[in-house]
Amino acid sequence: MINMALYKREMKGSIKLLIIFSAIITLYVSVIIYMYDPQMTKMLDSFVEVMPELMAAVGMKANTTNLLGFMVSYLYGFILVIFPMLFCILRGNALIAKYVDKGSMVSLVAAPVKRRTIALTQMQVLISGILLLIVYSTILELICAESGFPGELDITTLFILNGGLLCLHLFIGSICFLSSCIFSDTKYSIALGAGIPAFMYVLQMLANVGGNAEKAKYFTFFILFNPDGIIIGESSAIVGTFILFAGAIVLYVLGIMIFERKDLHI
Amino acid sequence: MSVIKIENLVHDYGGGKGVFDISFHVNQGEAFGFLGPNGAGKTTTIRHLMGFLKPTSGRCTIDGLDCWSERDKVQAKLGYIPGEINFFDDMSGTEFLKFIAEYRKIGSQNRKEELLERFELDPKSKIKKMSKGTKQKLGIIAAFMHDPDILILDEPTSGLDPLMQSRFVSLVAEEKEHGKTVLMSSHMFEEVERTCDRIGIIRKGKMITVDSAVTLHERHTRSYTVTLENEAIAKAFATDFDGICNGTKVTVTTKQSLEEIFMNYYGGGEND
Repeated sequence: MINMALYKREMKGSIKLLIIFSAIITLYVSVIIYMYDPQMTKMLDSFVEVMPELMAAVGMKANTTNLLGFMVSYLYGFILVIFPMLFCILRGNALIAKYVDKGSMVSLVAAPVKRRTIALTQMQVLISGILLLIVYSTILELICAESGFPGELDITTLFILNGGLLCLHLFIGSICFLSSCIFSDTKYSIALGAGIPAFMYVLQMLANVGGNAEKAKYFTFFILFNPDGIIIGESSAIVGTFILFAGAIVLYVLGIMIFERKDLHI
Repeated sequence: MSVIKIENLVHDYGGGKGVFDISFHVNQGEAFGFLGPNGAGKTTTIRHLMGFLKPTSGRCTIDGLDCWSERDKVQAKLGYIPGEINFFDDMSGTEFLKFIAEYRKIGSQNRKEELLERFELDPKSKIKKMSKGTKQKLGIIAAFMHDPDILILDEPTSGLDPLMQSRFVSLVAEEKEHGKTVLMSSHMFEEVERTCDRIGIIRKGKMITVDSAVTLHERHTRSYTVTLENEAIAKAFATDFDGICNGTKVTVTTKQSLEEIFMNYYGGGEND
């Protein structure tokens, strides 16, 4: 149920973005992990003291007790959420809607290849990209943590944490993919595919600041990804991860079904 | 035996746009010309045959297979030139043809080289930088290289120069001799007349007439025979007016444009 020729072409199309985002992630992750040292932590904590709202908005909290907690606080609220999310938005839109909008989808559907196969292939291209980014981040975190602070990182928990992160991005990817399958116009595909995740992220930022806005967090799917909860083994955090995963499957299947049945004016 | 069959096809876009109750068929080994002005519904009809659109009502079949629900099986037999060529801009022509061959799983045993030579196409440059005519040539090669039994060609000669147009016409004629079935749309009467056995005319989403090319030709051309003073003048006259010279007599034929033919069918009710 996958067309290798198409898969290869599209993975080639993902390479540039993957390299750019990996480079950015490399920069941030290595710098932040090496900053884990009591003195530097104090400096970051002093930022939090000076501008608590801004730091809280991007999920950074003071007084983290161990390396993983420190990483959760400074990486899992912003960098590791935003960049894979951007990848989902850009690729998700380009994989289906852009081809339909520009008319080059003709080359793909005017061949003895089922639409389901086309959509499944494109979905796997998106998932492969997400997987590559998360796996790369995991390896990078392991290398940085083990080289800087040998033995301090709880590796099993890191794997569980990144499994949760993967589910979050699979879910974000499924929103972008679904919107790409629904709309034949890039304009609308981007509006929904980028709009929903971006809007929810902003809501989440507002909620993090606290006060009255805190209730906003119940209206975003980011509440299902709770890195603090995952590392202390909270069952609700694990349940949230599973909901994200199940939601992703539903949306991908829905996207494929819609693409199979829709009229293509190309 | 009909290979392509369209029965009471309706696809209503609303506002009078779409196709309404279109029916016709194309037989095995026949070339069918699908004529109509811009926006008449030619491409919409073809999109149904390709399985891109689902009919509001009615149905299309190719070789007995439903064009919507069994489109992947139908596609295995088809070669298609889209009305508007929009290939992957980021690829070169060579990469694109290689991609299509792999994507369709047709292997390297195909007619690509022969066709490239025939249309004098050098596919090395990026598709983005190709001229309209060059892209059209690439579209022709992509449609013919897997040697399909049925050809669906949507305004296949648009953008081609006259030399390439006539090469294309002879390619279609050869394919027809090999028993291939051809459906070709156009808004140019002459082109269809040169290639096709039967012609269907569509206007505002409705089929106006389906007739053999010979009948339509007779109905819409008039011949005049004139006698000139001497043979030299007759020859010159024949050259100038594209007539047939026979001694001092020259026969010239006039052709009506498609618009005039429509006027014919609608008795001048063209304006609306």
